Amino acid sequence: MTSFLPILKEAGETILKITEKRGLDEAEAYLVSNKVLTIRLVNNAVFESKGVHDVGVGLRVIKGNMLGFSSTADLSKKSLEGLVDAAVSTAKARKLPFKYSFPKPKTIPKVAGVYDKKLVTLPSEKAVELAYDMVGSSLAHNKKIKDNAGVLNIVNFETLVLNTNGVSAKNTGTFFEASLSATAKSSGNISEGSDATAGRSLKELTPKHVGEKAAEMAVSGLKSRKLKEGTYTVILDYEPTQGVLGYITMLVSPMIARLYFPLFLDKIGKKVASSQITMFDDPLMPNGVGSEPMDDEGTPSKKQVIIDKGVLKGFVYDSFYAAIEKKKTTGNAVRASFATGVSSFPGKNYNGEPIPVTRNPYFKPGKWKREEILEETKQGLLVRRFHYTRLTNPTRGDFTSVLRMGLYTVKNGEIAGAVAKSRLLDNLLSMLQKVDAVSNKLVVAGSWGNYCHTPMIRTKAHVAPID
Amino acid sequence: MKEDLASFSVDYASKLGADYVDARLENHYNELITVADGKIQRGIINRKRGIGIRTLVNGAWGFQSTTDLTKKGIRQTAEIAFKMAKASSKHVHTPVKLAPTKAYKTSYKAKVKVDLENVAFEDKLKQIVAWEKKLHTSRKIVRGVVEYAGMKINKIFVNSEGANIRFSNSLTWASLKADSKKGATTQFYEKTIGHSGGYELFQKNDVEKMSLEIGRKAESLLEAKAAKTEKDTTVILDNDYIALLVHEIVGHPSEGDRVLGREAAWAGTTWWSGKIGEKIGSDNFTAYDDPTVPGTLGYYLYDDEGVKAERKVLIEKGVLKGHMHSRETASIFGVKPNAGMRAITFEYIPLIRMSNTFFGEGDWKKEELIEETKHGYLISCMRHPSIDDKRYNWTISAQEAYEIKNGELTTHLRDVALTSIAPKFFKSINAATKKIEILPLPGCGKGDPMQALYVGNGGPYIRGVATLLGGR
Repeated sequence: MTSFLPILKEAGETILKITEKRGLDEAEAYLVSNKVLTIRLVNNAVFESKGVHDVGVGLRVIKGNMLGFSSTADLSKKSLEGLVDAAVSTAKARKLPFKYSFPKPKTIPKVAGVYDKKLVTLPSEKAVELAYDMVGSSLAHNKKIKDNAGVLNIVNFETLVLNTNGVSAKNTGTFFEASLSATAKSSGNISEGSDATAGRSLKELTPKHVGEKAAEMAVSGLKSRKLKEGTYTVILDYEPTQGVLGYITMLVSPMIARLYFPLFLDKIGKKVASSQITMFDDPLMPNGVGSEPMDDEGTPSKKQVIIDKGVLKGFVYDSFYAAIEKKKTTGNAVRASFATGVSSFPGKNYNGEPIPVTRNPYFKPGKWKREEILEETKQGLLVRRFHYTRLTNPTRGDFTSVLRMGLYTVKNGEIAGAVAKSRLLDNLLSMLQKVDAVSNKLVVAGSWGNYCHTPMIRTKAHVAPID
Repeated sequence: MKEDLASFSVDYASKLGADYVDARLENHYNELITVADGKIQRGIINRKRGIGIRTLVNGAWGFQSTTDLTKKGIRQTAEIAFKMAKASSKHVHTPVKLAPTKAYKTSYKAKVKVDLENVAFEDKLKQIVAWEKKLHTSRKIVRGVVEYAGMKINKIFVNSEGANIRFSNSLTWASLKADSKKGATTQFYEKTIGHSGGYELFQKNDVEKMSLEIGRKAESLLEAKAAKTEKDTTVILDNDYIALLVHEIVGHPSEGDRVLGREAAWAGTTWWSGKIGEKIGSDNFTAYDDPTVPGTLGYYLYDDEGVKAERKVLIEKGVLKGHMHSRETASIFGVKPNAGMRAITFEYIPLIRMSNTFFGEGDWKKEELIEETKHGYLISCMRHPSIDDKRYNWTISAQEAYEIKNGELTTHLRDVALTSIAPKFFKSINAATKKIEILPLPGCGKGDPMQALYVGNGGPYIRGVATLLGGR
């Protein structure tokens, strides 16, 4: 596969030359080649195979105390001139009330297991077969499985950050996610199950295992009972724990906290969870789903504590939000676009200014074995899947999720039977403060583009049946 | 844009052996500004152009997009799209069939008075900073946020059946939010305005006045009474709340792919699958999806498959009449395709999406609805939804409510949400106002990889029965 880095480098150097000619004080070009291959499975068949190859550049410029940004997918000389013009026009009137400068060059560490050539060169025919293996193994697992739908996404990217302070840092990575939902039907009963995984190399992709686990969950729910509304001890399996973790990652972003979810804004140094909860962000974890040697500004990655034994230690920063709060960047600049109508594929994106978010977050594993958490639960619920999870009141922490599948009652340390679809309605802070057990192993879990390494946790929450 | 590149890609992929090919050659201009607490958090101009080529080979779909608009780049992209469709076809059980449609050759534009690029970015920044400032009506407002987005899209759609459609669109919107605090009580109030058109949106509307009203609302919620749970009570829903309700429990379940179970692994399925022709609601319940309404966020006249748009009747007097379709799902249902396919950019394969989905009108006046309600609640302005995977059980929070006693609005309430079961609620609808309004919803997510799209939603004021939920 041809590397796009030489093309990116040439365009980047051209841009910096143009900005110098225009007399700008500083400039930073973030150049991307991002490829995504998607195989979508629907009704037990391959529905579509689709791909995108996005090449482009995001440019930030500083003139005096003014900051501007623009991006383009057209790397021709004429377009790059226009790019600089646009970045300059966005800088006018955007006067920063603080001193801001792009990052300086630093030694970038190495991280093992984040790039796999085999994923890059995987032929689309082979990708289709691997995706279909999820359906095949689910159907083979049990005759009651009647329908399957899912996806295999394979991503590979090359990025280059060049700035006028001397940063010149390249980054390459690969990533996949595979997920399947299975539907079982038997004597008028219908039940769903699902499983998902993600990783950085082809050898981690185990589609048959995903298919079997989804089928197993679907069949296990065929005979279910309706729940009585109440507050229960709930064991959140890996995927729902990732759902909780996913919200915390947003709460500790100074940008997301200011704009959308202010719940943690006034809680630094305060207890936000039980002492069982310690949370790290470690992009240097070998083979981590979110691991990379550097962030999207070329700042070296480092491990940091976000929550220490229940106490919120701090937020994560890119260089801009660090400057706003007179802090130092923590190496958490991520280029992501959540703007409507603007593409936002898995992998790397050059359409937006960097935003500060965690990159490879996880709860520190506890002392409990998975089985022990179950065995030591006298009465409660095992939740294996969250669906449509929302922080319905982001200033107060009201939290809800549909327990669409994979819900079971636990009695005297054993799974006592499946429970029909229900809804969890509680408060995120209250749930975090009631965590009394964390399992001792990290597993990659998630759904729909969001994956983390996570243990499972036990807490208490209000759960009501859905009619 | 070089139109011949779109035709070139379609001809090239057809020669490779594809049974059907379409291509979307697009040019996008986006600007985004976010201001919070007097600081410009983001000020962005994006430009993107490229082509997406979709192929049908042996009944299976393949798709590839590129930003490389050289003939060499397009040939490679067409080859990959063809190869992918061929690979998929090995595991297709029911080959894709496309319902027939006319191959239109046409060109149209959304009405724009003030082109976004004719207003200096600098002036927009200053104006948005001023709007944000107005949100801070007192010290009780602890945070203000304004998000502005403007976009221009030029696209050419060409297919192997001879269609050639050019569309030039422009979309503009702004969301404003104020967070308020008093002691341990925190509240917020937000509003969005938007349209298909240019920057004239902000000349037609007094946004500074709107900001002041939002700030005052956020303050007033601090003094409002927390709502208490009340089972199965009379509720009057305003246009703004209705917009989110119709989006979640009428729009999404009407998507033909969802009805067929194709979205099961993501957002879910639909409870009314197989119920066409059945009575699912009261005579006062009618709903449409209509992309042809000029000036709305969901405006278009031809979809991303080149099908001519029309008003789709989804529910008529309580009877489930039809769904939103692609050419493929129309063929499965044996109906005429109705132009439901859209993609956010050329980089994505189109999906069945809402355009403007809204409840149909009744014959009441708003005042009459309230006057003729002995005990109930006026539920105002959407907040957050949480809906089950079949769009059956729904919970949607509102920004505020007023208790109605003997035909009059009384206590101001906060921390309000409603919950019900879709058919139960639809059957309870007993009145709707004559006046309807379609509001902008610029953030509807669907697909894998996810596509965040802009739609219009709304309707009249509606009266029905639901359970009022207090805060937790």
